[in-house]
Amino acid sequence: MNGAHAAATTTFGTAPTATGIPNGKLGMWVFLASEVMFFTGLIGAYIVLRMGHPAWPGPEGHLSVPLGTTNTLLLIGSSVTIVLSLAASQRGALPAARGWLSATMLLGSLFLVIKGFEYAAKFSHRIFLSTNVFWSCYYTLTGLHALHVLGGIAFNGMVLASTRNAARWASRRQRLEFAGLYWHFVDIVWIFLFPLLYLI
Amino acid sequence: MTTRALQPRYLLIGIWLAGLMLLGVVFSEVSGGFLPLPRWGVVTLILALSTIKATLVALYYMHLQSDRKLLVLVALAPVLLIVLACGVIFSSRLVRL
Repeated sequence: MNGAHAAATTTFGTAPTATGIPNGKLGMWVFLASEVMFFTGLIGAYIVLRMGHPAWPGPEGHLSVPLGTTNTLLLIGSSVTIVLSLAASQRGALPAARGWLSATMLLGSLFLVIKGFEYAAKFSHRIFLSTNVFWSCYYTLTGLHALHVLGGIAFNGMVLASTRNAARWASRRQRLEFAGLYWHFVDIVWIFLFPLLYLI
Repeated sequence: MTTRALQPRYLLIGIWLAGLMLLGVVFSEVSGGFLPLPRWGVVTLILALSTIKATLVALYYMHLQSDRKLLVLVALAPVLLIVLACGVIFSSRLVRL
């Protein structure tokens, strides 16, 4: 470990551990590893089903590429803002950290709003989870991902709330790093879902 | 490197991520006759771009590049299982053919 990140980790004042990694951080990475396998199972099932259908998804399987592209840009932007929030926190600039974290929550919320519009458009055309295999995969993959985005926004909100009290924040500031790791994971999942569902 | 000095790098990586994503969209949209690649070539190209983007996020935003090796191993464990799963999926496909 080197550089600012290492310095920041040591200045958070966490108790020393056998691994040299704060338990919370190691726990978050193990949790993310299990989440990777969760989404891999779902995406793997989607790929297997798709390989079995040469004409997939068919004319009824059209998704809006501009909306998907906009959502991807929003999530990429939110990854930038949360890493800037962590950097601001590490140099003690709490107002900036709060601002970047709020921006992350806003971008995540916009992602969900656009996803809601996409769902509403499909529902208005009577396209539901049970319509066919493609839409079952689409709603399952994007719905579970959207739940993860919602969870990430809630996590970020809790971290933001704990910044109100400076004394409380001093002992809880590492949670921003955990929230950031989770948020980046959600971004990575969408980085694969977007081309698989919208482009290929 | 201080956290303030890292800010331009974070922004630059964000621009790369957006650029690679848009490149994938362009490849997908022009692949219908304009791009001299078979369908599987376009799919491989787009998924390769996604893998590059995910690697950039993991290395620089999740700090795996500068973090302890144990975390890198934890992060790589599911990737190895994914490779194994892909091997099973594609070998099964070949057997059926």
